[in-house]
This record gives sequence, C-alpha cells and structure tokens, in this order.
Amino acid sequence: MIGFVIAAPFAAALAALPLRNAVRRRWTRIVSALIAALLPSALIGTVDGLSLVFTALVSCLGLLATLFSIGSFADDFGNGAAGWSRKAVYFVLLGAFWSAMLLVVLANNFALLWLGISATTLATAFLVGFSGEAAALEAAWKYLVLCSVGIAFALLGLVVLAHVSAAAGLAPTEALSWTAIAAHGWTSVPTPARLATALMIVGFGTKAGLVPMHAWLPDAHSKAPAPISGLLSGVLVSCALYAIMRTVGTSAALGVAPFLQDLLTWFGALSALVAGTLMLTQRDLKRLLAYSTVEHAGIVALALGFGGPLGWFAALFHVVSHAFAKSAAFFAAGMVQHERRTTMIVDLHGLWSVGHAGRFVLGALTALSGMPPFGLFVSESLLVVAGVAAHRWLPLGFGLLGMALAFAALSRTAIEIESGRGAHAEARRASSAAPPVGPLRSWLISGAAACALAGAFALVVVPWTRLGAALQAIASTIGGVR
Amino acid sequence: MTVEPALLIAGAVLLMNTRTAQVLVAYIVLAATVSALIATSAAESSLSLGLFVLSTALKVVVAPIGIVIFLRANPAAGDLRPSLAMPARLALAVAFALIARAVAEMPSLNAVPFRDLVAYVILCGVGTLIVHRNLLAHVVGLLVLGAGITLAGAVLAPTLPESVELGATFDGLIATFIGLGLVRVFIAHNPALDVESLRRLRG
Repeated sequence: MIGFVIAAPFAAALAALPLRNAVRRRWTRIVSALIAALLPSALIGTVDGLSLVFTALVSCLGLLATLFSIGSFADDFGNGAAGWSRKAVYFVLLGAFWSAMLLVVLANNFALLWLGISATTLATAFLVGFSGEAAALEAAWKYLVLCSVGIAFALLGLVVLAHVSAAAGLAPTEALSWTAIAAHGWTSVPTPARLATALMIVGFGTKAGLVPMHAWLPDAHSKAPAPISGLLSGVLVSCALYAIMRTVGTSAALGVAPFLQDLLTWFGALSALVAGTLMLTQRDLKRLLAYSTVEHAGIVALALGFGGPLGWFAALFHVVSHAFAKSAAFFAAGMVQHERRTTMIVDLHGLWSVGHAGRFVLGALTALSGMPPFGLFVSESLLVVAGVAAHRWLPLGFGLLGMALAFAALSRTAIEIESGRGAHAEARRASSAAPPVGPLRSWLISGAAACALAGAFALVVVPWTRLGAALQAIASTIGGVR
Repeated sequence: MTVEPALLIAGAVLLMNTRTAQVLVAYIVLAATVSALIATSAAESSLSLGLFVLSTALKVVVAPIGIVIFLRANPAAGDLRPSLAMPARLALAVAFALIARAVAEMPSLNAVPFRDLVAYVILCGVGTLIVHRNLLAHVVGLLVLGAGITLAGAVLAPTLPESVELGATFDGLIATFIGLGLVRVFIAHNPALDVESLRRLRG
C-alpha cells in the first residue's frame, strides 16, 4: 500500500498525458491530484506518527501546488526557451517531485530516505530552470551540483553508519533502519558514530539550506516557477528537516546526541543570523522569501539543538507552520508576478489596493515574520522557552537577533509594496495590462493561496487542541525512536 | 598494492590536465580501478554480481559516452580552463596524496582496507569540482566523488545490499545526464561554459 501511495502522484501526472482535449486534461489533473492527496489517509495506523505528519504535509501542499499550477500555467512559467519548457513536462516532473517527497517521509530506513532526497533533486532540476532563461539555468546548475555534492556526503555518512551498525552485529538489512538501530542494545559509543551523524547532518543540511551550505537555495527558490518555489521552500526543506530529525533520533540511540545537538544549535544560530542579515539587502520579493526559508530552517535546527520535549515540539510545529506560510507566500508572489510581470520590490507599489494578490502577500509576510495570529508566532515563542530551559544563551541570542532582522526586513517590504505614492492608479494600470485568467483558473489560484494561508492561520490554535496533544506526543519521539 | 599508481596518476591527471577528453579518460581509469578493487566482494552471489556489472557499466561506459557525445557536438567545451595555475594544481595533487597517506597511518582506521585510496579518490572528486572553470568539470567531479563513495561503501560496509549501491549509481548517472541537458541549453548563453558566468545571481 505504501508503494502505491508513493507512486500515486506520479501516476496521476502521467494519467493526463494522453488526453488531447484541454478541458478534459485539466479536470483529469484536478481529480487525479485530489485522489493522490487523499490516498495517504489509508496509511493511518500503519506508519509512525512523524511519518504521518510529514505525509499529510506533503500531500496537502502537493495538491495545492498542483491546483495553483493548473490555474496559472502558460502565462507565467516560461517562454519555451528550453526543450523542457512544456506544460506536459512540467506536470510530469511535478508529479515525480511529489512522489519523491512521499518516498522521503514514508521510508523506514536511511537508504530509501536518501534515495528519495536524491530523487527530489533530479526531479526538480529542470523545474528550477524551467523558463530556460540564463538566470534560471544558472540557478538550476548550482542547485544540481551543490545538492548532489551535499547528498554525496550524506551517503558517505550512511556508509559509515552502516559500518557502525554492522560492527555492532546488526543484520545487513537492518543496518540503516532507525528502528533497528534504536532497538539495539548499545553498550558503548561507537567511535565513528560522530563522523557518521555529522556527515548526515551536513548532507541533509545542504538540502535544508542551512548556512554555510545554503548557497544554492536563494537562487533556486527564487528562479523556479511560483508553485515550485512554494513546494521547494515549504515542503522540500521540511523533508530535509525530517531527515535531520531522524538523524537526531538515531544519534540518541548511538549515544552521540549531545555532540549532534551542539552541531545543530550552531548551524541553526548561524543560519538564522546570516539569513536575517541578508534579508535586509534583498530587492526581489521571491529572493527575500527564499532567504526567509534559510532563516526558518535555522530556527528549526536551533529548536532541535535545544532538544527536550519543548524543543522537539517547537521544531515540529515550526516546520508545519512554516510550510503553509511559505507556500502561501510564494503562491501570492506568483500572483503578483502574473499581474505586474515583475517581483522587484522597487517596482511593486499599491498591491493592497488592487485584487487579492496584495492581501495574500501581506498575510503571508505577517505570518512569516512570526507575528500573531499565525502558527509561527507560537512555535517561535516555544523556541525561546526551549532555549532558556536549555541555558543555551549565546545561540539563542544569535537566533533572536536573526529573527528580529528577518522581522524588520519582512515588515519593511510589506509596507513598501502594499502602499506607495500614487500607488492606486499605477497599480490598476499595471494589473489591467496582465494577461486575463479565466474564472476556473482564477478560482484555483486564489483558492490554493487562500487554503495555504488559512492553514498557517488555523495552526495557531492547534497546540491547545487534541491535535496539539497528539503532535506533542509525536514530537517527543524525535529525540529517540520509540 | 598494484592499483595505487593507477589511481595516483588518474587523480593527478584529473586535477592537472586542461583537456576535458583527457580528464574523462582519467575518470574512466579511476572508476574502472575502483570497480576492480571491489569486484571480489561482489562475486559472492549471482545477483550481487549482476548488480555490480550493471553498476560498473553505467559508471565506466554509459556516463562517459554521454559526455563524449556532448563534447563532439560542442568542441568549445573541450578546454577545462583551470582556475589555479599549474604549480598550484600540482601542489594540490601532492597534498591529496599526502593526506591519503596520513589517513592510512591513522591507528583508529587500521581495520579498514584501502582507507588511503578512499580518502584520495574522494579528495580528487572534490578537487576536480573546485580547480576547473569549465562546467563539465563539475559533472566529472561528481562522478569521481561517486566512485570514491562506492569504494568507501565496499570497504566500510561490504554487507550493505547492492541495491543501495545500484540506486546511488543510477542517481549519479541521471544527475550526469540532467547536467548535460542543462549545459546544452546553457552553452547558448556561455559558449565556453565558464563557471565565472554563474555570477548573475548574487547577494
């Protein structure tokens, strides 16, 4: 059943290929994506809680990105400059990307997880360079090369981990299973365990965009088509952080958790601080959002580094909240790009006064800046408490400074693009020049952005509900598989 | 160890040579040598032998053929345009060999065979990625890095299922062809495929 769930999005994308009628093809894509997103519900009770949370996240946002893509395609994604800049290729690669992310979160061992992470790079390289423009090709190249190097180091880490497991007497088929490693009675800390987990953190951290392995992320996330940027920033980074969470659990079993948590704490603090600083210098809305992803990945790493039930819960809740908020932000940026034909902040004024795009952008930027009433406010507050409880004052200080800088950058941008002198007339003129979008497509675009933003908003109450209690129980397993 | 000189020379050629075709030959020698080193452990069952042969064919034959076809269509990509001067590249090759020797003498790694070769091949992969300005060097560098990790897998975790190795090989192969696909379009903007052109997106 798990294999069927993983293959479903890719199969759904292929299902629409033979249809010649554009309307039938569009509806086939919508219905098959809905089925692919609902299928994982059959896995409740068969996979562990952490996998289930991430599967729900991938399915939900994979569906929204597909719907947004169906609504917005053709006008905004490319001019056919490259051989792959075709609608059919786009949807097949999107389906493959979605399936690869499901493989990451539904794998029961590090070998399959690694293959999934690696497959996401291969599925999305052409999507990042989809427009065929020089800048997009540059971004795709950096993405392919740097992520391939990163995941090569993760593979090296897995090889060392398999060596450690084999030396301890684990069966070859269980050498990379986190459940088997956790269940094994480790009597002493194996010597290469630190090396194995550190290489895995560097490898998966490259994919998560942690500083200093982040160089590819701002380029790739800002040059990809908007729904792909949403998936890359909101979901793929979450999948990489999921891999890091599994590594943290394994490190606890191996007895090297304090070392790994120290490493994560400093990666996280550095990421939040560097990204927050660079956000202040950005002039492109999508690039600003991409750097915001680096900052939020840093916050999650910081929370994982602080550890403890509060730290684990803050990390998990932050991943979920960020995924919704960032997807909404990129969807909104895509709407702005469609209306204004640019995402340069200096050219965007008066967004509030015309159409829905400005409101979605404002909502998403508010959510990402960590202000109430959005889920990120709760998770960032929990992070501070976790840091205080762990007495990690210096990394917490760096993290808080990074968050403050990011808040300043996002607030300044929101004010700049939502208001502006003579903005109303200029905005109306720019919007009326945009290519028209039919009612169904318009509904799909706005609906997808609204759902993602509503998700980021609704999450604020979750910690006080039964779902929140369930999430806390799941988060408590991050520090060691039970 | 008879294979050491072959790997040593292939690694040095990867770092010091400026012609893409010659560097590709060095990669083939290196990948074939690595495959020869791990062949005995792969011959334990017919399934593992079959997977090993398939994996070797993909790395040593299919990937280089793809690059050769690309080079014939785009002769301008034949110069690797190193970013370091020859003495610096030679010093790097010597430094990698010395580091590999130091790894061989680490007491904690005494039980690991070919530990020096693993370190050398991985370092040469990273070095190939860094020292050349031609984008094709990135593709070759990734393949060399993959060969180093394959060797590491064979000596550190010989009991790891061959499917993992095959999956990693397929991943490397697909990455190679995706890279060539991107370069094919990129060449219209940058005929020399100079890495310096990857500086539009900064900050």
